[in-house]
Amino acid sequence: MTENNTSGTKRRPDRAAFVIAAVLAIIAGVIAWNTANMGGAGSYSRLGPTAFPYAIAAALFVLAVWTVFAALRHDFPEREPQQFGPVIWIVGGLAAQMLLLKFVGFSIATGLLFAATARGFGRGPLWMTIPIGIVLSFVVWFIFSKGLQLSLPAGPLERFILG
Amino acid sequence: MDTFGLLAQGFLVALEPMNLLYALIGVTLGTAVGVLPGIGPALTVALLLPVTYKLDPAGSLIMFAGIYYGGMYGGSTTSILLNTPGESASIVTALEGNKMARKGRGGPALATAAIGSFVAGLIATFGLALIAPFIVKFALSFGPAEYFALMVLAFMTVSAAFGESSLRGLTALFLGLALGLIGIDLQTGQARLAFGIPDLLDGIEVTTLAVALFAIGETLTVAASRSSGDERIEPVKGSVWMSREDWSRSWKPWLRGTAIGFPIGAMPAGGAEIGTFLSYSVEKQLARKPEEFGHGAIEGVAGPEAANNASAAGTLVPLLTLGLPTTATAAIMLAGFQQFGLQPGPLLFANNSSLVWGLIASLLVANFMLLVLNLPLIGLWVRLLSIPRHWLYAGILVFATLGTIGANPSVFELGMLLAFGILGYLLRQFGYPIAPVVVGLILGPLAEQQLRRALAISQGDLTVLVHSPISIVLLTLAAAAVIVPLVMRARGRGKVLSQLAADED
Amino acid sequence: MKHFVLASILGGLLALPAHAADYKIMAPAAPGGGWDQTARTMQTALQDEKISGSVQVNNVPGAGGTIGLAQFANQASGDPSQLIVGGYVMVGAILTNASPVTLDQVTPIARLTGEFEAIVVPAKSDIKDMAGLVAKLKADPGSVSWGGGSAGGTDHITAGLIAKAVGVDPTKVNYIAFSGGGEALAAILGGQVTVGISGYGEFESQIKAGELRIIGISSDEKVAGIDAPTFKEGGVDVSIQNWRMVAAAPGITDEQKAAISADVEKMVTSKSWKDALATKGWADTYLAGDEFKAQLAKDIESTSGILKDIGLVK
Repeated sequence: MTENNTSGTKRRPDRAAFVIAAVLAIIAGVIAWNTANMGGAGSYSRLGPTAFPYAIAAALFVLAVWTVFAALRHDFPEREPQQFGPVIWIVGGLAAQMLLLKFVGFSIATGLLFAATARGFGRGPLWMTIPIGIVLSFVVWFIFSKGLQLSLPAGPLERFILG
Repeated sequence: MDTFGLLAQGFLVALEPMNLLYALIGVTLGTAVGVLPGIGPALTVALLLPVTYKLDPAGSLIMFAGIYYGGMYGGSTTSILLNTPGESASIVTALEGNKMARKGRGGPALATAAIGSFVAGLIATFGLALIAPFIVKFALSFGPAEYFALMVLAFMTVSAAFGESSLRGLTALFLGLALGLIGIDLQTGQARLAFGIPDLLDGIEVTTLAVALFAIGETLTVAASRSSGDERIEPVKGSVWMSREDWSRSWKPWLRGTAIGFPIGAMPAGGAEIGTFLSYSVEKQLARKPEEFGHGAIEGVAGPEAANNASAAGTLVPLLTLGLPTTATAAIMLAGFQQFGLQPGPLLFANNSSLVWGLIASLLVANFMLLVLNLPLIGLWVRLLSIPRHWLYAGILVFATLGTIGANPSVFELGMLLAFGILGYLLRQFGYPIAPVVVGLILGPLAEQQLRRALAISQGDLTVLVHSPISIVLLTLAAAAVIVPLVMRARGRGKVLSQLAADED
Repeated sequence: MKHFVLASILGGLLALPAHAADYKIMAPAAPGGGWDQTARTMQTALQDEKISGSVQVNNVPGAGGTIGLAQFANQASGDPSQLIVGGYVMVGAILTNASPVTLDQVTPIARLTGEFEAIVVPAKSDIKDMAGLVAKLKADPGSVSWGGGSAGGTDHITAGLIAKAVGVDPTKVNYIAFSGGGEALAAILGGQVTVGISGYGEFESQIKAGELRIIGISSDEKVAGIDAPTFKEGGVDVSIQNWRMVAAAPGITDEQKAAISADVEKMVTSKSWKDALATKGWADTYLAGDEFKAQLAKDIESTSGILKDIGLVK
């Protein structure tokens, strides 16, 4: 549990904008490619299912080109320097919840998310925040699952306490 | 039966003890969740939708009304005290409200917001009761061509709120449109952009996208922002109540805000934000002390807050009469109605009249409860916000994922939540507005389906699109919606609008 | 902490058998829809009649039920306590979505309820009966726009079957898909489409109010309480039923299957089930055993044929 407030070096806005333009162009390409490879059924429709995808792909491509020009003209706003440590903690917490939910149940998985988010905002230690998160999540689970019959995945903890 | 007879009958439904209780629970939950930063009415309704799963339709709708008004109001508290707009419609409130709070006048600011919301909600809900039945009569003459014209108008209004950069606004909109393509095409049953993944066949859930972009994106942005020190909450100093001068400066803005907010909210292509922007600029023009604007002018809180709540009632007009969701909140409410087999639209008043008038009556009840609940509890809401940020945002993420897990506990759905959360963070990073993405996802598929239906029925004849007076009027308005702001901007008056829209979300 | 987790896992494992539900029913759709309501009605009836002590319903929405079906086939295999609700829409969805899991991979128990398709026109329409519709369709198929539910669904299939039966190319059917029943209904009432086609229940109140005229119903014989000729009486040899069924897990033994079938039969004959059907207006079209199996095979075959004819499945 080391402090890892990795700070992102300030990138030049232009280069990021070129990446955005490239991503937009790729999305446009994927849409066009996927649409072109779509099955040709459903011929009775006057304006087929391919018209809108092609139009949107074309528009995204135009926007990609426009973004390049905007980047060349330094039209992108200055960005604050970012800390990536917190982002990694929170994204990690969400990923952990997603992957563990089915196995450990709502309370434990969501408790981990809670603790990881708190850690992202600089609050620890985890041995304290994880139990707090699990207790809180269990209360939430109990209210919504038992009180309101919502199907939230139950795990060993939920079964243990209600068993 | 006349309108008032139906409304009286509605009150009988709404005033049943159980329904009163649901209204109270709804208002309490709505305000409690809506007060959290980053959680606007759309998210509030989305998060609390599961709460209504178990209720009968009448009870569910009534709780909705409470949640909706509660969530709509709740956002202003964070705007005023924390300078953190709870939702896009309370951005303007933050401008003057937070300045007031910093001068220790947070009490009057919160009070004028609460009372203004009540006055606006009251007048606008009566408007809903009286005007909605007339709109119903037009609704059946709306065919696919007219609906398509309506969608075009909706797109144009949204484009006015793109912010400082048309490029980034359009890019956000087209990202939303591209996401809207995913899934089975309704007209032909063919899968588009699903890449063979069954989970994508039903398309992207609007609620998943909205929760991810707003709540998770916002959390990541705040966490990553280096400059954000500890946000201090301004204590409510001095008198919590409004002075005589505050009253005399507030009542006209309340009425004007209502007059602006309701029709804009009721216009299927309107939106709560736009009403608040217009109200703000109107109040600034008419203020006796315009120099106070920017330094805590109470008119700048009273007007936009009234407009905000009036448009909340206005939004229900197209939703109930046309089945047309004009905001993300309305879209989520629509899903909520469908949960109970109710299809809002031309026939709702005919098929479920007791329920509809019950809803309208309960909106009035909810509105009153909101005032009763909020005036004495201003101090408590402030304390809710004194939760340290790390716990606050951790709690927000717990509730954000709870909504998704409750609706569909699949790894795939949570994966999309995470992916869109990162997208929301990146969009904020590079100055892209968030709202157009959600709007694109909602409106894109609707517009496409209506256009294709219109052309299929006409067997390919394009003139069907301008066949009726309604279509022509709507398309003309859409054109005006694009041209007028351009003219305004050219004359330098659009500055406030564009600047505000830039800060949106 | 470690001990705590270990203890809870152990506790959970120990507690598991005590909490196993007698039946766990999957509704492969979002809460509120027809399949969800069927599952929840079963839940109430099974519990009220003491056929089962504890019944849980879980929703797995998506893609016409095929996502839920795939999950059920994989996870419930060999487990006699798990059931899934499904229906005719699933038959079409499996074909149009090219679902890797089909109804062969579950154990169908019984058809429970059903609804017949109705064709309606606005009251002032010049189409008076089935013959009038057929004549117009034969003259110019494109001029008849059909408003109904999503493409490839029961409504669309019925329209295709009618066209085929009267010798019109099914790909020429000008079918306009609407996403919700109310939306289609509004378009029909507003005269935006020529005819409307959907489950009778969608139109019932408007037919009774005189706003819509029903020109045919898709049952084999006249239905009590519905004043309309069948398609066959109107000269179109098509009958179709939008049914809902219950199926058990794959890989269960014959004894287990017999026990489930007995429970389901007890349920459909119970008072609480019949009362629930009456309130919801669902027709009791209970069909079990080999008869259901044969009917299912027939439905799958004809559906696959018509979907190919319409051009939705290659």
